[in-house]
Amino acid sequence: MKSYLQYLVILLDDTSVAYCHADNPLKERNLIPIDTLRKAILFGMKENLMIQYVYPDYELPAEYEEVIESIDNVKIGREVQVLTEVPKFIDKDNVVLRLTISDFISKSFDIAALLPQVKRMNICIRDVENFKDEMQEDYKRALNTLCSVLANLYKSGKQPQVNILTDRLSLTEMHNCEAGIGNITIAPNGKFYLCPAFYYDEKMGLSNRMNHKTKDSSRSVGDLNNGLNIPNKQLLQLDHAPLCHICDAYHCNRCIWLNQKLTWDNNTPSHQQCVMAHLERNACRSLQLDLIKVGNLSVEPIKEINYLDPFDVKEDF
Amino acid sequence: MKDLIQPWKEGSAKNITFIVTKDCQLACKYCYLVGKNEKERMPWSVAKAAIDYVLDREKDPNFAYESVIWDFIGGEPFLEIDLIDKICDYIKTELFRRNHHWFSSFRFSFSTNGINYHSEKVQKFIEKNHSHLSVGITIDGTRRKHDLNRVYKNSEKGSYDDVVKNIPLWQSQFPSDGTKVTISSADIPYICESVLHLYDLGIHQVNINCVFEDVWKEGDDKLFDEQLMTLADKIIDGGKYVDNACSFFSENLGKPMDCKLQNGNWCGSGKMLSIDAAGNFYPCTRFAQYSLRDKEAWIIGNIHDGIDNNKLRPFLTLDRCTQSTPECIDCEVAEGCAWCQGENYDAAKTHTVFQRATAICKMHKARVRANNYYWNKLYRKLELEGKREEFEKNHPNVKPDIC
Ligand code: SF4
Ligand code: SF4
Repeated sequence: MKSYLQYLVILLDDTSVAYCHADNPLKERNLIPIDTLRKAILFGMKENLMIQYVYPDYELPAEYEEVIESIDNVKIGREVQVLTEVPKFIDKDNVVLRLTISDFISKSFDIAALLPQVKRMNICIRDVENFKDEMQEDYKRALNTLCSVLANLYKSGKQPQVNILTDRLSLTEMHNCEAGIGNITIAPNGKFYLCPAFYYDEKMGLSNRMNHKTKDSSRSVGDLNNGLNIPNKQLLQLDHAPLCHICDAYHCNRCIWLNQKLTWDNNTPSHQQCVMAHLERNACRSLQLDLIKVGNLSVEPIKEINYLDPFDVKEDF
Repeated sequence: MKDLIQPWKEGSAKNITFIVTKDCQLACKYCYLVGKNEKERMPWSVAKAAIDYVLDREKDPNFAYESVIWDFIGGEPFLEIDLIDKICDYIKTELFRRNHHWFSSFRFSFSTNGINYHSEKVQKFIEKNHSHLSVGITIDGTRRKHDLNRVYKNSEKGSYDDVVKNIPLWQSQFPSDGTKVTISSADIPYICESVLHLYDLGIHQVNINCVFEDVWKEGDDKLFDEQLMTLADKIIDGGKYVDNACSFFSENLGKPMDCKLQNGNWCGSGKMLSIDAAGNFYPCTRFAQYSLRDKEAWIIGNIHDGIDNNKLRPFLTLDRCTQSTPECIDCEVAEGCAWCQGENYDAAKTHTVFQRATAICKMHKARVRANNYYWNKLYRKLELEGKREEFEKNHPNVKPDIC
């Protein structure tokens, strides 16, 4: 089935917290005008979208909080905590750990120790481009460290979720980020972006490798006055991604921002993204086998495969 | 050494293109090279580094092809004949020294405007490398057709006379190499006379194509249809089909296509490697900046850092249906409708090679109609003469020119 729009991400400020692969390089505060916020909420209501606010690290004026609460919402940077260091303790149920690949590998024991404290942990690697094939064994080991703690917790009746390890346990089809098709982002300037990372790139004046038929850095895909206008929207859909289409790393983010950054085409993933997702898939397979054995899980088993990058098994015409 | 070198092997071939210069004596009006200049000439050090890079990677999947075609283009490649000679000598020596599997199967290929073909240096080079060469001279047809577009730089003087005088020499040296003709809107009225003229000049293979750019005017398809019908009549009635071939008429054309069984990409970009004077690598020359109107160059690496395979992945995963519109997927005459990945990229709404440009649509449809007429008429004639079987066995064909 084709994805359809379900979520509206509202960046409340230029310095709103980064919560996914891309760092937010913007340092100057630029709060969304309150009228723009109202319009964004109205857009969300009329399109029947669930709202996710992305907060900066400072308190917003009281009048904003009132508008914000005029609709059901999730608050990233508030109730969902976003961290770029591995903490000793976590006092929220829901946490995003944004780590470099080397931090993830070297701190896997510390991360595993946090698992009993959370309901959900999203692990997001900030520098996928730095992943090298030589790191495969280390990444596997780090994932397995988390898996053994998860297995014990599951056996004892606790079921914390870790995006890269437990989402795939029960998925039977792709469940990716879906920027531009399942969700869309509104920036403080009142313009739409496929995701916050495209807004950052525009603000940083990065050469446009993505959106339009121009060499400038504009990356918006519409605005609140004129609505959405996503050129080549079909290329965001799974059936227009020749590699992802044949893949069963169903939990993978399939990050189109990383795609355009590393391969220059938004429907084509990089080698790094695929290999990492497959190491996660395979770690999840071991966890699944373990849990099925002790009867904690009855789901469709993940198949054994002999590749880490679907590119290596793609059909040649 | 010449004796040791075996001729060409059929099979998969890697295409490696040196953009030796961006200069040319001509300024053809349809030339897609928007950034030609006299400054960017490939230094020997860059050419040598590129050859070393490629030959060092005999087992790399990017180069694991049975054979290799070393292509030289420009601008006008023969303006750099000294460099080309040095490059070819180095390639031969290195293939031999390294005992590289391409030593037994390589070819040097040139597309030239033919103007200095007769020069002593070019002729010496041809003599030295003849068994490994293929050379295509571009001549667009009759004088008036050729001179309409192929004019000298800084003057409106046509180049026909300077090219045509070299045709007999070229044909005597490369009798099976054909010519490439490019059709734009203004050329349509001259198609028939031009193809026949090329046959008369002794060129038996005419590879003729409509440009992919969005240049077509209202009514061009009708004119095109008429020209091809006249050409079909002249070829058939004049018996010219026996020795000659023209790529506009092909038996593999104009049927619907299946997205499972016939999903291959048309063009070979990504499986080729182009190198420019600065030592940058491209998936095909059409992705170098001098060929692009609206987009940035798609550089996939360089002689120092090598190829970034991520930048090649979109090209190596391209298939027909992902890049096609629903109209093209369901098209009843889709077979043989071509595209150029570079033009697709340049014309696309986003930074992608997955959006097929379809400016050629109405021209392809007109071509299919005339093509159907051609084969229906020709086969009926041959049947009545009892010669169909013989013709089917022996008739010349032009392979569609893929880039
Ligand atoms: S692993 Fe690669 S092919 Fe599979 S969904 Fe992720 S990005 Fe796509
Ligand atoms: S461009 Fe036109 S003729 Fe070609 S396949 Fe598409 S619809 Fe058919």
